[in-house]
Amino acid sequence: MKETGFLRKMIGTVTGQRGKETSPPDLVNTTDEKLIELFISSKDERAFEEIVNRYADKIYRLAFKITRDYYSAEEILQEVFLTLINKIDTFRGESKFSSWLYRVTANAAYMHLRAQKKYENDVSLEDYVPYDENGTLMGRIKAKDWSDKPDKALLSEEAMEIIEKAVNELPEPYRVVFHLRDVEGFSNQEVSEVLGLSVPALKSRLHRARLYLRDKLSDYFYEWSK
Amino acid sequence: MVMCKDVVENIMGYIDAELDDKTLEELEKHLDECPECQVFVRTYRKMLELTGKLRERTFVTPEIRERLKQLLKSKLKPN
Repeated sequence: MKETGFLRKMIGTVTGQRGKETSPPDLVNTTDEKLIELFISSKDERAFEEIVNRYADKIYRLAFKITRDYYSAEEILQEVFLTLINKIDTFRGESKFSSWLYRVTANAAYMHLRAQKKYENDVSLEDYVPYDENGTLMGRIKAKDWSDKPDKALLSEEAMEIIEKAVNELPEPYRVVFHLRDVEGFSNQEVSEVLGLSVPALKSRLHRARLYLRDKLSDYFYEWSK
Repeated sequence: MVMCKDVVENIMGYIDAELDDKTLEELEKHLDECPECQVFVRTYRKMLELTGKLRERTFVTPEIRERLKQLLKSKLKPN
């Protein structure tokens, strides 16, 4: 069967190696909102191709971060792009397209968790603090100082695995906020829109997640260097 | 009197330069005198630097892209 022009382009897009830019140059600098407009109004296939290029990795990472399961993350990736094809008209432009897409992703991921009855026994970190009852860090931090370890060691595969493991050990509500804010680099406002959390609430979660992670990394790196 | 606890609880504002002048001055005075807090701030910054690199580690593999392609191909096929 002869493939359409669109399908030929999609093959080029989705079989390309990571990082290889296959989008038409004229669309690379086009805003998301304009691409969506093109896709809705004239079924511009190149516009859809460019959206896939921009968001597949990010959707996959968020889905994995919520479910911690690669198979579920792939299913969610597929579901999100199908939703994009079938329900793009539900995007009303009231928020950024990216926020809408991540919200669709997060909702799909939470649905997966519910369907599989995979509820984490989440531990609250709200009371997590590194200082003692007197408000001092004395004797708790300096003995495990890893800040002067050379970058070569901290950026090694082994170290990055340790860091990833520590992030994955965060309870889910903290892990997702930390991922969006500190790994993906979203603003507080964007995270707030995606997760439907107030900015003060997400900042509180982020604060506890960071304190917990700093401590975890200190423990890991201290043991690692023994 | 500023204590380690104040440094910890204000660390986000400190890193993002969002503290008012008075709070900043008090925290920095404590930081100058507290080796534990100095290490706390250094390792906190380092942790953020390292975790920011995790983004490069998880991505859609060519195999996953291929399966996505097949699915989208069937859904977008013109009638």
